[in-house]
Amino acid sequence: MNIFTDWPSYLPELLAGLGVSVQVALLSLAIGIPGGLLLAIGAGSKNKLVRVLIIGVVEIGRGTPALVVLQIFYFGLPASGLTLTSMAASVVALAATTAAYTSEILRGGLQAVPQGETEAAGALGMNRKDTLRFIVIPQGFRVAIPSLIGFAILIFQATSLAYTVALPELLSQAYSIGSTTFNYLSVLLLAGLMYAAITIPASWLTGRAEKRLAQHL
Amino acid sequence: MDIFLTVLQGVPMTIGLTVSALAIGAVGGIPLALGRRSQIPALRFLAVSLIEILRGIPPIVWLFIIYFGLGTALPQLDPLTSAIVGLGVISCAYMAEIYRGGLSAVAQGQWEASEALGMGRQSVLTFIIGPQVFRVSVPAAASYAIGLIKDSSVAYTIGVTEIVYFANDQSRQSSDALGPFFIAALVYVIMTIPCAWATRALDARLRMRVAR
Amino acid sequence: MPPMQEKPLTKPLAIRLDSIAKNYGEHTVLKNVSLTVREGEVTALIGPSGAGKSTLLRCINLLERPDTGCITVEGSRIDAGTNFTTKDLAALRRNVGMVFQSFNLFPHLNVLRNVSIAQERVLGRTRKEADVRSLQLLERVGLADKAKQYPSRCSGGQQQRIAIARALALDPRVMLFDEPTSALDPEVGLEVLAVMKELAAEGMTMVVVTHEMQFARDVSDHLVVMANGAILEEGHPEDIFTDPVQPRTREFLRAVLER
Repeated sequence: MNIFTDWPSYLPELLAGLGVSVQVALLSLAIGIPGGLLLAIGAGSKNKLVRVLIIGVVEIGRGTPALVVLQIFYFGLPASGLTLTSMAASVVALAATTAAYTSEILRGGLQAVPQGETEAAGALGMNRKDTLRFIVIPQGFRVAIPSLIGFAILIFQATSLAYTVALPELLSQAYSIGSTTFNYLSVLLLAGLMYAAITIPASWLTGRAEKRLAQHL
Repeated sequence: MDIFLTVLQGVPMTIGLTVSALAIGAVGGIPLALGRRSQIPALRFLAVSLIEILRGIPPIVWLFIIYFGLGTALPQLDPLTSAIVGLGVISCAYMAEIYRGGLSAVAQGQWEASEALGMGRQSVLTFIIGPQVFRVSVPAAASYAIGLIKDSSVAYTIGVTEIVYFANDQSRQSSDALGPFFIAALVYVIMTIPCAWATRALDARLRMRVAR
Repeated sequence: MPPMQEKPLTKPLAIRLDSIAKNYGEHTVLKNVSLTVREGEVTALIGPSGAGKSTLLRCINLLERPDTGCITVEGSRIDAGTNFTTKDLAALRRNVGMVFQSFNLFPHLNVLRNVSIAQERVLGRTRKEADVRSLQLLERVGLADKAKQYPSRCSGGQQQRIAIARALALDPRVMLFDEPTSALDPEVGLEVLAVMKELAAEGMTMVVVTHEMQFARDVSDHLVVMANGAILEEGHPEDIFTDPVQPRTREFLRAVLER
């Protein structure tokens, strides 16, 4: 069996694909996490309508598979006159999914900040906005970091869904090599190992982050 | 309305796929979880490596490896079998981790009490710890199952006729490209949200019967 | 014109609470409590747990909003029964510092930032100005060397002294202490009490909810005994400790002193 012998020849194209995957993941997180934070803050709003609306959006966002969100943006939207490139559709779709999921993670983090912290800030005369910005959000974010890393790993894996919209990411590259060489097993295994080479060390990082956090707060 | 009914045709496949994969995971997760806690280092290493590699590679890649990859070496499996096997082995790894969490949640005192009664390790595990582990694992397993309903949508990429497959088909055939996907999203939301509620209620009830 | 103005018998009022009432659902926590605190005076609030001491204290800076009643602190007045603006609230809190039982330092900021942040955000001081003031205050509570540490690296007594410095940094005219030593070992509590005594000696107006009877007796100018959401009696600490009027006060003092 020549499973491994051809690996060097696959590597350049696969690495290019991996670059695209990483890029999509980072962009999605960079857009999605601030979005998630806004949703998390909004979910604590005093206005009941705002609260219900946001919780509704988040539940729908979390209930829908990322794959379906992706298809909506890539195949669905052109019907309403807005055509996105496969890159843009992938980033927007995964960012939306990120926002929905991380809003729950961050909401948990914000709620974990003891009430005494808010009271202390209030007693010091800090207004609601400053209290949120300087006291509650930084602490809530720290609490959320291990879960956020865990989620980032899942989003990186989810970039493989962009294969369905013909984005030249890692899986697409592997598949196209497979379809010309018919050596699917070899190239797909290599691609899988490349995903694992990033996700496995990253998940160790989660464990370390948890330990460090336990020391500090 | 026609589109809605067509997309609904995928529901039995989505459910069947999810349930089959979950069943494989619920059973296969047990040896993996025990392997992780084994006193034999080699066994422990093997279990950890398997779990990490299964969880570290995206589900869609596993399906491709099984459907397209193994297909070139062995007689090709049909899409549904490939999807069940793929999602099933991934579920083994996730369930193993869930059981591991459950094992550490059961109070040390339960082991000690059983040993003091003169029970062997095997029977402690089977009659005392095991049942409690399953109970504490229910909430995590349920939320994993909810995730799996959504993750099973990747099976469409190898041609399994589940929800997204029909949505895609409709989107391409009808003049309405967007509608079928919204319907698919709606169907998933309708399937997952009640599951989440049921889990919370079940969790509260099972928690009462576990020693911590 | 008299050659030397005699020390006025009554100093001006720093805090005035008028009929403060507070209920949690069916449960009444404060029953129309009225209280005045004079400038430069140390008032100690004592009484059995559940008496409403902490709630009353927290009403002074409106961390707890009373259902009805009027609060006046250094000229800022808020009627809890009516709607007031955040501006009114800010004006009142501007003069009030508070120290909590559980310190409530900001764990993600180092000690210096803990003391400086509110100066910057509330008083609009620059970071440099704020840090200079913070270091002075940390020096004063004996913790200047901890400025760059994080609160988690400090002992409980140190944390509480930092919390005092943090409150003082806004130059409050009144300081509220909510059981400041209850979370501390008795010995460690002493270093916090020492700082509080110093503050009292310098003429800071203080209201202290406490279980430290020695502190209440020795340091306070005015003692308030509370039970069941109302003031049982108040007056000079020595008088109350030696000859309480109310049987309930007698009972309470016997319970805490004779153990």
